[in-house]
This record gives sequence, structure tokens and C-alpha cells, in this order.
Amino acid sequence: MMALQSPTATRALVVPPEAETGRRKRAPRGSRLLVWVFLAPTLIGLGLFSFVPIIGSFVLAFFRWDIISAPEFVGVGNFVDLAANPTVRVSFLNTVGFVIVAVTLQLAVALLLAILVQSRMPEWLRTFFRSALFFPLVLSAASVSLVMSYLFNQEFGLVNEFLGLFGVGNIGWLTTGFGAKIVVLLVYVWQNFGFTFLLFIGGLAAIPREVYEASSLDGAYGWSQFRNVTLPLVSPTMLVASVMAIISALQIFDQPYVLTRGGPGDDTRTAVMVIYESAFQQLDFGLAAAIGIVLTLLIMLVTAAQFRLSKRFVFYG
Amino acid sequence: MVDLSRRAALALLGLGLAGTAISWPRLTGGDIPGRGDDALTVALFGTAQDAAARQSLVDGFQKLHPDIPVRIIAIQGQDWGNFFAKILTMVAAGTPPDIVSVATEGSQLFAERLAHPIDEYVQRDAAELQEYFDDVNPSLIESFMYKGNLFQLPDNFNAANMYYNTSAFERAGLERPRDDWSVEDFFTVGRTMQASAPGSFLPYFWNNRLWGGVVPWLYINDTSFLTEEKAPGGDWMWSKFYPDETPRGGGYLWENADALSDRTVESFEVLQRMVSEGIAANPAQGGGNELVSLFSRGSVGMTPAGGFWVKGLNDAGLGDDEYDVTYFPKMRGQRHQFGAGGYAMMQTSERKDEAWEWMKYCISVEGMSIAHSQPDSSLPRRSLNAELYGGDIGPKHWEVFYDTLDRFPTTGPMPAPPQQAAVESALIKNVVGTITNGPNGVRRGLETMQRDLELALKGR
Repeated sequence: MMALQSPTATRALVVPPEAETGRRKRAPRGSRLLVWVFLAPTLIGLGLFSFVPIIGSFVLAFFRWDIISAPEFVGVGNFVDLAANPTVRVSFLNTVGFVIVAVTLQLAVALLLAILVQSRMPEWLRTFFRSALFFPLVLSAASVSLVMSYLFNQEFGLVNEFLGLFGVGNIGWLTTGFGAKIVVLLVYVWQNFGFTFLLFIGGLAAIPREVYEASSLDGAYGWSQFRNVTLPLVSPTMLVASVMAIISALQIFDQPYVLTRGGPGDDTRTAVMVIYESAFQQLDFGLAAAIGIVLTLLIMLVTAAQFRLSKRFVFYG
Repeated sequence: MVDLSRRAALALLGLGLAGTAISWPRLTGGDIPGRGDDALTVALFGTAQDAAARQSLVDGFQKLHPDIPVRIIAIQGQDWGNFFAKILTMVAAGTPPDIVSVATEGSQLFAERLAHPIDEYVQRDAAELQEYFDDVNPSLIESFMYKGNLFQLPDNFNAANMYYNTSAFERAGLERPRDDWSVEDFFTVGRTMQASAPGSFLPYFWNNRLWGGVVPWLYINDTSFLTEEKAPGGDWMWSKFYPDETPRGGGYLWENADALSDRTVESFEVLQRMVSEGIAANPAQGGGNELVSLFSRGSVGMTPAGGFWVKGLNDAGLGDDEYDVTYFPKMRGQRHQFGAGGYAMMQTSERKDEAWEWMKYCISVEGMSIAHSQPDSSLPRRSLNAELYGGDIGPKHWEVFYDTLDRFPTTGPMPAPPQQAAVESALIKNVVGTITNGPNGVRRGLETMQRDLELALKGR
């Protein structure tokens, strides 16, 4: 969590002594070859399956291509079209709105549960909670969403059946805009908070007990201790967790696709859904690539902003 | 660090190259059984089990054509759109099949971009095919014509009929509706069933999709959400094979959005009323996997389905007397909707003659009987349906499946222009909003639908 070694020590580990003198002794030819031999599988894999598709997508964004005909160069036409496309616009707004609420909920729930699980309890119970809370993450998002779609069915779902016991009428969970958003959000957060929860468990475990003891002596308990001790010391974990949660949430696809297909209307349509639909339903691969690039830029921008802001909010001890 | 001599590096490189060479067939997929064989490649929408089930069809075909090896590729997909995307991916990858099973949803897309017209083959083998056309309702043939050319021969179809649960009818004291029952009769039936039902019960369950969704309710009002015209041409077909019929033109054209016509608004108002009264649910999105279970346990009174559902209900353990089928109610008219399927020959195929022989075999009495030995779809050959539904498995009024075509000659395919996927998406996403925002929300919803349909049809 915090720096384990002093900067000098770290530098000593990574900078060879000859570099200090300005002269760099070349490694033997055999060693250099061996380095490349070990790197080759990863580099080839990355090149073939990451860099080539990334470059391909970038190039494709400037073409109109429907798989069947030859690609036609359209310059920035795809970007102009996506800006004018109301569905694309709505899907990005939905995605951003979703990210704000989902990530906030995900972090809050994960931190709260991590604090509860780290509190005093038998070790076996702690292990049980850790496993149980992490469990949803290992399930397939499509399967979970399918089951949830039955649970939230307006006429025959268990949720409405249960609410009916308290006199609540049938709620159109998946057929009203607000209901569908709530369900997608709940399903996503329920399934994804497990990883964030584990990060927080690690972060909380790394806070020295003495810090809490010292703060208690100073009269800090409960909320005050949480705000002044726990939160600052867990903030580096919070940064990592939020970066990962935001990147993941910006790419949400499975849950709304299975639960609502983006409906009703465009209420739960997300950016990645529009990429999929443009490419594989409307055979507009150029537009799909252009939307993908905009989404990638958005992710990079948000991540950069997070790291920039982190200087003000993250406490490294 | 361990030193690596030049010799060792060369040896490692050599090992790598040798490994690559040995695994080349795996890397390129060349070791997939059948790939690269000189066989007629047939792609169909289904699972490996579906492909295996076709083996008897292949065996039957090869008895007649032992010189034509056949390879069936089953392509799984969530829906027809997904299936077509995968076929297109095969085309892009340079490994297109020779012949593809295509449903109405993709028929015009294939006709416009990928399929080879079969007019010449049909005319060449006219004498042989005459008995097929004599046995097949022309509406099915017409649905596979595009701009004057014929691209497929239907080997299965499903009209959207109204299934009803006989127990729910009996409980409500209802009798089978008249064949020409009206929409108001439908409401009365729904209300009566609702009133007599214990617990969770829905008189009418429907799915939000192109087949069996809003379209049947538009068709019975002699309208649609797209304009419908007929392309010129096609006389060669009608004069030769259906001389007693009024020529039907060269196939359907759905070129413009028409969501705001008075009749379309009227049909949506009926649906809005149905939902607001609780007679129908908000339509479920997707394929309605839960429907068989809901219907078979008596939680649903009526639902739109075709002949394909007989097998599903039988598999679910529902007895033949526990359900029955009738026509959609009448509004301005009683035009029904259907979807059909058949094989399309790919433009790129180098085995077109063999592909044609496969197509002919699949529409022969033997081929069709083998392919549909169970009631999983209505058959275009009128004569074969009695054996399929009139025997051990099937509802009492199974004749409804084919009579839908014969009694209502204007019955037509679901609107599926070449931009079908985008059009379907524009329709589906606006249906719920249109019918759930009160009577005043209908026109507002249809205005959005009109805008989305115009965008979908315009393309870019």
C-alpha cells in the first residue's frame, strides 16, 4: 500500500551501478538473446492479439465497411455520424450516468462490507463471508442476468411475488425506464463488488493496529476514526479500486443486453451495446470502430483525471 | 543471467519453427473435420445436435447423389440476426458456405447481397417442380421473391396463430371462439378468463419481436409499421406455376417507415388498452423461453405461436386436449403474419449445380418428411401437414396452421427489408414505451419509432 522501501533503496535495485558512472556495460550477446527469446511469446501474443487489432480498429474507424463489400474510405465521416446519432448520444449519457452511480455504490458497499468482515469475528466466519461475498464475481454475467430476468419478471417474478405480500402492486422492473435502470444497476453492483471488496480487505489489513490505538488515545472512535484514520490510509486502495471499477463499468454490456436489450426504448442502452449493434446487427463496422475509439479516449481521459486528482485526495503515508 | 550461445539460440529458433510447422493445421483450423474437403457445404442455424439430426437428410440425399459429398455446419446464434452476422463473418474470412438456411428475417438481405437467384434452375426443372408448386400456397413462394427473382424454395413456415389454454377457457365457461372473432371478442375472452383465474394469471402473453409481437395486430388492421409494395416482375413464376392466380409481382418491398398512419396508431391503441386493462403483459423482450412453462402450467391463457410450438408443448408434457389453436381475431381484416425458411444458394459457391440438387431434395416429399419428422414447424407442402399434426401429436384444430394461408390469401411475411436487423431494433425498442405511457403516449411513442425506422431504412 505504502512505499515499502526508501526511494534510494528502490533506485539501487533498478539502476545498475555502472549507470551511475555514465558508462553502461553491454550485457553479453547470449544474455540479450535469451531476454528476447523469453519475451518473444508475450510480444508476439500482444502484437497479434492486441496491437494489430487496436491499429486495425483505428484504421477501420475511417472506413465504411459491411463485411460484404470492399471498405470505402470516408475520412472522419463515421465520427461526424456518431455525433449526430441520437442513439449513440443517449447510450454514452446512459453509460456515464451508470458509471457514476454504479461505481459509487460498488465502492461504498465493498468498503462497508470489508470493514464489517475485518471487525472482530471468528476466523471461520470471516473466511465464509470473504468467499461468499466474492462468489458472485466468478459467475457468468449472462447466466446471472438471465436468472435475474426471471426474478424481476413483472407478472411471474419472485420479487413482485414477495413485494405482493406487503401489498405492493406489480412493478414493471424491466419494462419501465426507471425500473430497468435500477435492476441493471443492482445486478451489476451485486456481481462486481466482490473484487473491490477483496482490494479493501487487503488495504484495511495493511493499516497498522497501532494507528488505531493511538487515535483511540486521542479520543477518536467510530465515525471520527473512520474519517480521520481508516479513510486516509485506505485511500491508495480506493484509487486503484475506483480506477478499475470505472474502467470496467464504462464497458458494461452483458447485464443490460440480457436483461433488457437496452430497453425500454434506449433507457438502458450502453456504449458497448451500441458498438455491438452497429457492428454485428447493422453491419456498420466503421461506425462501431469509431464509437470504440471514442469510448477508449473517454476511458483514458477519466483515468488520467483520476490520477491527477488523486494527488489531492490520496494519502500515501 | 544465463548466457545463450548463438548455436543454442538457433536451436531454439529451429524448435519454434518446427513447432509452428507441426501445429500449422491447428493454427489455421485445417484439422477441423471436413474443412478443405471437396464437399457441398451447408450452413444451418442450430447446434451440433441439429447438424447430427440432419444426417438422415444427408443420407437420403446421398442415396440419390452418391457423387456429392455434403458437409453440414451448424451455426449457433441467439437469433437470426446473430446467425447472419456469423455467416457474413465466414464470407469475410473467405470460407463462405455453398448454401445457407435462411429465414424470412434475412431473406432480402441475402437476396440483395449474397444469394444467387434460382430462376434459371426452376425454369430448367419446371416439369419436375410442378408437383411441388401445386402443393404449396403461393404466398410462401412470393415471400422468397425479391425484385422479380426467386432466391429460395420454402421448406418450412410458421404463421402466427392464437394458441389458447383449454383449461383456462373451460374454467371461465368459454367456448372456442368463432374463426372470425373480433378484437372486442378477444377483449371479452380476456376479461372473462381474468375474472375466473386464481392467483397469477395472464390472459394474453406476447413477446416483443418481429414475429408474433405487434405485427399480427397491425396486419389484422390491414396496416404495418413499414409501407408495403410489390416489386415488378415475377411473371415467369406466376404464369408458369400458378396460372389460375392473379400475378403477385416480383416480391415485397418495404422501403419506407409508416408508423404514424391512422391504422397503425389504432392498432397500437388496442395494444395499449390491452396492457392497461391487464389483459396482456408488457411484452417480454427476446425469445420468451419461459413461455412454454407458463403456458403449460396454466398461468397464461392465450399466446401467439405457430406450428413449431406443438413439439415444444408436447415436450413440456402438455396433452393435445389441453390446448388448441385458432386464428388471430378480426379487425379491419384478418390478414395473418408468417415467417418461412428455405435454403439460399450463395453467389460465391462454385458448386451451384450441386447446391440446386440439395435444394430440390429438401423440398421433395421425402426430404421434407425426413427434415421435419416431428411437429417442429408447419410444412409448405399442404399434403404433409396432416401426417405431421393430425397423427399422434397436435391440437384438435391443427388445420388452422395451413388454412391461415388458404383462407386468408393476403397473409404475408413479416416485414423484413435488407436492413432487417436495424429495422427490428427500431421497432422493438419503441414498442414498450408506446403502449405503456397511457393513451396519449401512443402517438408520441410512434413518432420516435417513425424517426428510428427512417434512420434504419436510410442507412448511412
